[in-house]
Amino acid sequence: MTNGWVDIKNADVILAMGGNPAENHPVGFKWFMEARRTRNAKLVVVDPRFTRTASVADLYARVRSGSDIAFLLGIIRYAINTGRFHSDYVKLFTNGPYIISDKFSFNDGLFSGFDGTKNQYVKDSWAYEADPKSKAYALDQTMQHPRCVFQLLKKHVDRYTPEVVEQICGTPKETFLKVAEIVTSTGNAERCGTITYALGWTQHSIGVQIIRAGAMLQLLLGNVGRPGGGVNAFRGHSNIQGATDTGGTFEILPGYLKTPTADLQTLADYNKAGPPTTLNNVPWASMNYWVNYPKFMASLLKSIYGNAATKENDFGYAWLPKVDGNYSWMYIYDDMYRGSSMRAGGKEAAPEGFLTFGMNPVGLGPNVKKIIAALSKLKWMVVVENVEIETARFWGAPKEYGGAPPAQIQTEVYLLPASGFAEKDGTFTNSARWLQWKWKALDPPGQAKTDQEILSRIFLAVQNLYRKEGGALPEQVLNVSWAYTNPVNPDLGEVLKEMNGKALVDLKDPKDPTKVIKAAGQQIDGFIQLMDDGSTMCGNWLHSGVYTEAGNNAQRRNNADPTGLGMFHNWGFSWPANRRIMYNRASADAQGKPWDPTRIGIQWNGQKWVGDVPDMKPDAPPGTYGAFIMLPEGVGRLFAGVLADGPFPEHYEPVEAPITNPLHPKVTSNPVALKFASDKDSIGKVDEFPIICTTYRLTEMYHYWTKHQQGGVLNELQPGFFVEIPEQLAAEKGIANGSQVRVTSARGSIEGVAMVTQRLQPMKIDGKQLWQIGFPLHWGFAAAKGHTGPLANFLTASVGDPNTWTPEYKAFLVKLEKA
Amino acid sequence: MSTTMPVEPLNPAVLAARHNEDILVGDELVRHSRVSRLLHWAVAISFFVGLFTGLPIWTPLFGWMAYLFGGLEVCRWLHPWAGVAFALFSVWMFFYWLGDMRMLPGETREWFGPKLWTYMKYEDEPDAGKYNGGQKLFFYAVSLGMLGLLLTGLVMWFPLLFPRWLRGLSIVLHDFTFICFMVGIVMHIYLGTTAEPGTFRSMTQGTVTKPWARLHHPGWLRTVTENKDRRA
Amino acid sequence: MAQTLEIKRSSASMWGSHTGIRTSPTVAKYIDTTTCIGCKACEAACQEWNDLRRVPHQQIGTYQTLPELHADFWNLIRFKEQEVNGDFNWLMRKDQCMHCADPGCLAACPAPGAIVQYENGIVDVNQDKCIGCGYCATGCPFDVPKFHAKGGKMAKCTLCVDRVEVGLEPACIKACPTGCLNFGTKEDMVALGNTRVKALQANGFKDAVLYDPQGVGGTSVVTVLKYDKPEWYKLPADPHVGLLVRAWKNVLRPLGVVAAAAAVIGTFAHFATYGPKVPPEDRDDASSGSGR
Repeated sequence: MTNGWVDIKNADVILAMGGNPAENHPVGFKWFMEARRTRNAKLVVVDPRFTRTASVADLYARVRSGSDIAFLLGIIRYAINTGRFHSDYVKLFTNGPYIISDKFSFNDGLFSGFDGTKNQYVKDSWAYEADPKSKAYALDQTMQHPRCVFQLLKKHVDRYTPEVVEQICGTPKETFLKVAEIVTSTGNAERCGTITYALGWTQHSIGVQIIRAGAMLQLLLGNVGRPGGGVNAFRGHSNIQGATDTGGTFEILPGYLKTPTADLQTLADYNKAGPPTTLNNVPWASMNYWVNYPKFMASLLKSIYGNAATKENDFGYAWLPKVDGNYSWMYIYDDMYRGSSMRAGGKEAAPEGFLTFGMNPVGLGPNVKKIIAALSKLKWMVVVENVEIETARFWGAPKEYGGAPPAQIQTEVYLLPASGFAEKDGTFTNSARWLQWKWKALDPPGQAKTDQEILSRIFLAVQNLYRKEGGALPEQVLNVSWAYTNPVNPDLGEVLKEMNGKALVDLKDPKDPTKVIKAAGQQIDGFIQLMDDGSTMCGNWLHSGVYTEAGNNAQRRNNADPTGLGMFHNWGFSWPANRRIMYNRASADAQGKPWDPTRIGIQWNGQKWVGDVPDMKPDAPPGTYGAFIMLPEGVGRLFAGVLADGPFPEHYEPVEAPITNPLHPKVTSNPVALKFASDKDSIGKVDEFPIICTTYRLTEMYHYWTKHQQGGVLNELQPGFFVEIPEQLAAEKGIANGSQVRVTSARGSIEGVAMVTQRLQPMKIDGKQLWQIGFPLHWGFAAAKGHTGPLANFLTASVGDPNTWTPEYKAFLVKLEKA
Repeated sequence: MSTTMPVEPLNPAVLAARHNEDILVGDELVRHSRVSRLLHWAVAISFFVGLFTGLPIWTPLFGWMAYLFGGLEVCRWLHPWAGVAFALFSVWMFFYWLGDMRMLPGETREWFGPKLWTYMKYEDEPDAGKYNGGQKLFFYAVSLGMLGLLLTGLVMWFPLLFPRWLRGLSIVLHDFTFICFMVGIVMHIYLGTTAEPGTFRSMTQGTVTKPWARLHHPGWLRTVTENKDRRA
Repeated sequence: MAQTLEIKRSSASMWGSHTGIRTSPTVAKYIDTTTCIGCKACEAACQEWNDLRRVPHQQIGTYQTLPELHADFWNLIRFKEQEVNGDFNWLMRKDQCMHCADPGCLAACPAPGAIVQYENGIVDVNQDKCIGCGYCATGCPFDVPKFHAKGGKMAKCTLCVDRVEVGLEPACIKACPTGCLNFGTKEDMVALGNTRVKALQANGFKDAVLYDPQGVGGTSVVTVLKYDKPEWYKLPADPHVGLLVRAWKNVLRPLGVVAAAAAVIGTFAHFATYGPKVPPEDRDDASSGSGR
């Protein structure tokens, strides 16, 4: 989230799209209701299903699953054509006036630079034009230049008329126009609106571009950086934000530093590739905050390797693993299944062992049949979990999942009992980027151990083996600093201190070298004090400030709110720098006066920025730097030349497309979508699988865990798997409510109880009547007695977004029959 | 201890009343055979169990009665079963007595007319057979009331099987019927004991005296005597 | 708002049980169906706080946990798909005991003290005194009382009397994430409800209404409805304690007592007037039927 949960109460309009917050985030959803009660805010829900969120909305618009970009670009077109956008904001804070290279083009569904042999884009033509004289970015502040971003955007979205939106999304024109009118009512200084989304946007082969479209709309409306505004992603678990921040995926290190690649052999090379370069900007310079990259990286390396990391040995940079290809999730199973990692661009054989920690790939991975087959080829697998999940018993999966008979599976499975969140201390980092400490409520049962103890014991055992027997690349393991009071079970407070970072020598004030701002060994106040010379260490620069000399700030529980906007600066710690609203410089105009004096993000008081923790150099007067300090151009991007699938979002059909793309029939789906080519990666065609299907979660169930609880109240509240079917489709197929039905995709087939409902309706798409059905994913074959059910992901495909490699769970094709 | 008390020989009429009815034995008439009497008492006992277990449920005024049975919960359990017993014995008794209960022509009108009052003032009933019109009507009223109690009682026994309006109606009808029963039973006992001496023994030893029969049921006395004469 | 529980009314009590010593304001739950998302946190909280057993059941094609309230399930969100003038609605209402000011269950209950109404308006069941007769179910216009299969004892929402007594809000209110539930004095809750109804009306829901049925003297559960169609929410439009229940409690019971007494007195009067009808002794001859 750019803003926070509480801040939603400051919105005038809330567009909930690509998510069902009432279902999946009911506690945070209170702020939606607060906005409605106290501000009479309008809640607009756009979703294929009439959801729990829709049930309390002011306006509901039905869209076809996977058509969100068309809908959003339709609103952008409406905003531009009616002038209902915040033009001062766009000129000040976006790249709307920036002029783009004349080599950029978009024709027949393809942007310039498409390489058809590799199915990827060469992005050179998606660049800004530099002013030949000043060598700065070329701009047209009037936004009239035909190649300025604003005009290119206007041209790009011009195809998305309300009629086209209706044709693609199935949303009646009148409903779409009502949505557009309400949403664009915030395109000015007085009003402000927010967009909330979740996995309904991300889990598509065009997921990132959907989010881009939402962000662009918010930039156009001037809603980014302002209280009550923002682009707000709701994360799926209580600490998934923390996991991402701390390097949860293969391509990032803690703090979103990039994982070194094989071609960057020295720290200098790495540092050069890290921060983006910026041209001298007009009228504002960019802080381009990533220029501090070397400081963050040096401090991270010092935290990993401790005293072994010296300036002379590049702080141990050489010991960090370098990736040689894509080791994202779906690739791992593809490698395992096919027996080589060539597809990932790597040169090594497929893995023979697998450690899966707090994750249940057989439950939540796409195309379960393939994953089961992949795991069957392993020699060993270690599963660390609270309960015996599907992954731990993949060998015992029911026959229809296609696994080999257990006797033929050689994989040796170890299940290490872990502990639940209430059984350990630590922090949750919520969607609002708040780190909040939690205290252990009870001891783990039996032999279960905390995550850090399991990891430490494995690590220390490996390190010991290296000490005794040696091995390949011993420095990588032996030089790791493990200086915890109890190395076998580190105190998480200590770990948090390490993440915050500390001074390793006395740190001098750069303005007055006689003054020591931090003595050696003291916790630093924030990442601003980090150094690239090895004098500081920091486990995660983004979280720096969470555990200072003042103590563990994640434990703060002061609910004083002088702003009245729900910022609560003394409650927990919000990264970065305890800032509650990111890009908050954009909440004030060119002079530093707030757009809306009743909702002040920050404002310039003549000497400094006051209000929220400024997302700006605190004493830099208005006009010094652009509002988007992490970007080299310093402004928000309506045109982003960095993504894998185009600088503008474009409507592409899901990989399993129910229709041919009406805009460009030759390019129906995302041309650079992630796909796999194994014999288990079948893609269904609409002739055989005519129904659009989606998967989702239920508020009563906690992912794949709840079903393991014998006699639990939640299993009582949602007693079993079901398939939601529109009334008319059920009537057509003679399906009665509560009867058994069978849903089949190109990859698998499951059976469940029909839930016949009016909440799903037939949709007219591109002149054809299409049906949408769906089912929740919480069940599986590993469960307490009486709570088993089919795995939803038996039906989903291993295809995904080319930027994030997230699977397309939300739109695939099936057929439906009476069972 | 060893003194033997002289045993008085049993009254031959009472002995005869074990198996017979409507006969003259000596100076006494057998009015109710043993089966008839047992049936009556079975009905009476089940009725009173029902009454006394029902009353405390009906109103807290009679809450104390519950303790006779071990509390209100026992009453709630026992009451329906007493009702079932009452219904079963009543049905049996109904068919056992039905033959004697045929209404004579004009009898109904007579007993619903002003004559009733005169009878209550001990006017004679010269034509009364084994049962007079009032007794017959009481018999039918009890049977009908029993049916009402049974049906409404079943609804109240298993309330959740029936719609709410029917439950409410049943309770009201059950109450109304039993109030009629209560009034009726007071009169029945009064007439059978204090008001008409010599009557109660017909339900204990089964016999009545000739003068009793001549006073209350002259028609019956005639029939029994004639039968005896005919047999003789 | 911790309260000592003063009994205001008790079932099957001859003279009522109200001593009128302690006073306390009437409390109420506030339910705003227009901000309820049907998340069932209240259901879970109710189950857990009250240590209720699980009700075994299967998926039958609905989001609603159970078809009806149950002796082991006192708090149920009812889901209803309802089209209104072309607009689709998915209505959700938390159902539980309404805690009527004039409780039909209490009026109907024959077991002394099995159902009590406290001074603060809470209507509670004492299962130890319940005889499982089911009269309360007949007396209740909301179909709330349910009975355990074993023992037949009635069970229903107690408005968390054990929490309210010590100054806590009911478990369901505590658990509600959206703030669609609230708890306080009846007066405050009605005021809150009226404010919300006005806001809804201003937003175009002209017939939004606060459901606080006067037929049962008002309830300690006030419900904001977007549409003045209580039946869509499975609420009776005009609930009242049934005429039949009133007839049996207020008419037949005194009438019966009077009738029984009258019968006894009547017989005594008769006896005093006419004495016994004694057969004349030893009129041996049976020939004359005439006693006149």
